[in-house]
Amino acid sequence: MLAWTAGILILIVKLGVVLVLVLLLAAYLVWVERKFLARLQIRYGPNRAGKFGLLQPIADIIKMLTKEDTIPDGAERLIFLLAPAVVAMTALLMFAVIPLGPDLTLWGMKVPLVIADLNIGLLFVFALSSLGVYGVALGGWASNSKYSLLGGIRGAAQMISYELPLGLSLVPIVMLARSFSIVDIVQAQERYPFVLVQPVAFVIFVISAMAESKRIPFDLPEAENELGAGFHTEYSGMRFGLFFLGEYVNMLVLGGIVAVLFLGGWRGPLLPPFVWLLIKIMLVALFMIWTRGTLPRLRYDQLMALGWKVLIPLALINIMVTGAVVLW
Amino acid sequence: MLPKELLTDFLAVAFYLLVGVIFAVVPLIISPLIVRRSAGMRREETYESGMETIGSAWIQFTVAYYIYALIFLAFDVDVLYLFPVALAYGKYAIRDFLEVVIFVGILSLAIVYAWCKGVFEWERKR
Repeated sequence: MLAWTAGILILIVKLGVVLVLVLLLAAYLVWVERKFLARLQIRYGPNRAGKFGLLQPIADIIKMLTKEDTIPDGAERLIFLLAPAVVAMTALLMFAVIPLGPDLTLWGMKVPLVIADLNIGLLFVFALSSLGVYGVALGGWASNSKYSLLGGIRGAAQMISYELPLGLSLVPIVMLARSFSIVDIVQAQERYPFVLVQPVAFVIFVISAMAESKRIPFDLPEAENELGAGFHTEYSGMRFGLFFLGEYVNMLVLGGIVAVLFLGGWRGPLLPPFVWLLIKIMLVALFMIWTRGTLPRLRYDQLMALGWKVLIPLALINIMVTGAVVLW
Repeated sequence: MLPKELLTDFLAVAFYLLVGVIFAVVPLIISPLIVRRSAGMRREETYESGMETIGSAWIQFTVAYYIYALIFLAFDVDVLYLFPVALAYGKYAIRDFLEVVIFVGILSLAIVYAWCKGVFEWERKR
């Protein structure tokens, strides 16, 4: 009984820490992105709310909360209302399997620093990232707006296409780590991070992850100069806020997954494990922001060609090469 | 019957989902309470660059999109089979390798076929 109560208490504390941390990080990632992007474009970025614009995320939240939330004529109401929640929830839920550090020992009890060490952790991440497609496709379709519909369809086609190289690039990782559990995969990188032995998989994964999160150069679903705002054209107020939140949480999650699968997770010298994980996540996120400031948007057929003609064959070859090397 | 450890892990995920839903829904409930609702002409019309909205958006669209969905369906299920293989890989040495090569080879035929069929080219409307 005592163990159960303690277990539940620990779980609640972990949930609270992870949720607050993720939401806070997502809010400030917006600030980091705007500031960094502004610097890349030789301007200042937000600098009015608070010192260096540090209060900007809070101002944004207040603004979105107090904006009216309209539902367009002829929209499919229920689906329209649920779609943003699907996007935000799937992104948030992926954090459940990312270990934040090594096991702690508190008063003789072993506390793993992960919400759930699922033995199918990797598949769980895939399942959720596939589910995210529903939010985009259904949100775009349910709005009954032409821009939204086109954005939604593009989003769906793009996300399912890049789902494949994303999955295929991780098969060699499973071969090396012999486990689906993310905790085990981090454990397997004790001697060297997998990016050193799987550079090809790393590149494929990062590119596909950027396409999955619909960021420039893969932001066709919301290409603003042709589609308004793409699948979320008709969304306003807090519902748009959920899409927005989902996007940035997604960025963090992808950073986290790249960190735990390829960069050794929380491992690193000198600094505490958690700080290392944070540094790695932020590095991936900064890389994505940098790309946004550098590259133009791909054309739709170029996007599909990159996925199907380059990344997937490359990933398949990588699986076979890894298979041969592992047996060597 | 699930092992006890796994069950608690899934319970933790379910609990996390619940807390996450609360996090997502609470602002949606608070927001309508504090916003000022405005009433105006054609406020609920869908956006069409400021022009009057013409017709519904639920129309037929180009075939190019759903072909990707079809190949995806054919391909993704097979990709899923690669994961258990990767997990057990290396037990029977060379036999494992050959089997993976044969499997991946057959899998690539799907891509080669679609490629030759010109699925990945974007056809211009004539």
